[in-house]
Parts: sequence; C-alpha cells; structure tokens
Amino acid sequence: MKHSPALLRIALHPEAFEPLEQLERWQRELEAADAVSAAESLFIGRVRGQAGDGSPLAALELEHYPGMTERQLQQLAQDCSQRHSVRSALVLHRVGRVLPGQAIVLVAIGADRRGPAQRCSQELLEALKHEAPFWKREWHRDGSRQWLTGNTPL
Amino acid sequence: MTDGTPATAAIRVRLFASLREQAGWAERTWPLESAAAAPTPRQLWNALGLPGSAAAVRVAINQCFADPDTDLRPGDELAFLPPISGG
Repeated sequence: MKHSPALLRIALHPEAFEPLEQLERWQRELEAADAVSAAESLFIGRVRGQAGDGSPLAALELEHYPGMTERQLQQLAQDCSQRHSVRSALVLHRVGRVLPGQAIVLVAIGADRRGPAQRCSQELLEALKHEAPFWKREWHRDGSRQWLTGNTPL
Repeated sequence: MTDGTPATAAIRVRLFASLREQAGWAERTWPLESAAAAPTPRQLWNALGLPGSAAAVRVAINQCFADPDTDLRPGDELAFLPPISGG
C-alpha cells in the first residue's frame, strides 16, 4: 500500500455540538499527528425548520443502535478512506433530540487533492445515511410525531 | 417466551424505532431447547408474530448486517431494523 491508514475519528454526540469548534479541535489533532492535508472537504448537516409535510418542526429525534451504529460508522469511514486514499476522516453525528438549526452531522475529509477529498466526503455521507442504523422521528408543534422511512433526496 | 434464560441457551431479540412501537416491546429472549433447534431470523420473525412483512426490515446478528435466512446460534443477539434514515 502506497498510503498509510487514514487518521479517523468517529463520535456520536447525545448533546448539541458546535461544528466550527469541533473542526478547530480536529485541526489541532491533525497538526499534532502531522496529518494536515492540502485539500479538505467539509459537510455540515443541520435540522430543517420544516417537517416532510411542510409544517413547522419542533424537533427531530434520532434513535440509534448503541454499539452497532458506532461500529458501522467506523467501518464505513475506514472503507471509504481506503478506497479514496485519503489522509483523515472525521465523522460526528448527533443522537437524541435535535432542534431545528442544530447540527446533526459533520463530515471532514482530508486528502492530497480536492477530487478524493470531495468524492470521499460525498460517498461517506451517503453511506452513513443508508448503512448506519439511525432512525429519525419528526416531532410536530402539536405534540404529534412520526417516524421517517427514508432519506431526503440528494 | 421467558426472561432470565441463560444467554447461551437463547437468542436475544431486539427491535428499534417504529417496529418497536408497533410491536409494543423492545427486547425479548427466545429460549432454545438445543442448538439444532435454532431458527433463522425469518422463521423467528414469523414465530414472534411481528407486524408487517419481514422483507421490509433488515436483520443484524451480533450487531452486523446479516441475511434473514442465516442459521442463528445460541447466545446470538438478533435485531430487526426498520428502514434507516440517518445523516
């Protein structure tokens, strides 16, 4: 193998996290490990203010399968990093009750060039949406709630 | 269906999200009389009388995705996962 294994950090957050603070911390970790890349692709996903039916959303609840979800995220990040020969991958994902505007997912991929960084970022994001056990439930302002059965379109 | 059966002689069955709420339970222990009697996830789905079609859910055995026709082994943790929506 030409490339050494990527530096990975995967974490689930039961409480709100601030993506820019997390990125600053990640930057320091990369510097300490001498793993800063020339190209870095970032994705921040936030909860919309509207439910799927267009009504105002009170909150989005995220259930997961403790143990399996973490393991699956780790495996997806490792596989994707290897396929694209990237240097670093950060994946942070919320669980629990997430409010509109709050970050739900943060993906940061570092590579030698923009192509692999962006491709790996997009591929990993799609993979975790479909292959990591998370379930979303919309909470409406009137107290009613509904499990979602799929993802929003790409 | 009993609780408190030693893990080695049983299958632990777990449900999540909408499926858990439809079924009205999150976790059960399915006792096994012998290893030879271990069912597949699909057989267990039917035996448990779970709602809807087994084709609509994914199966995980010991926290890894698996085929619904895999033979289970004593002590396995089996989970039925409704459609995933992460990210």
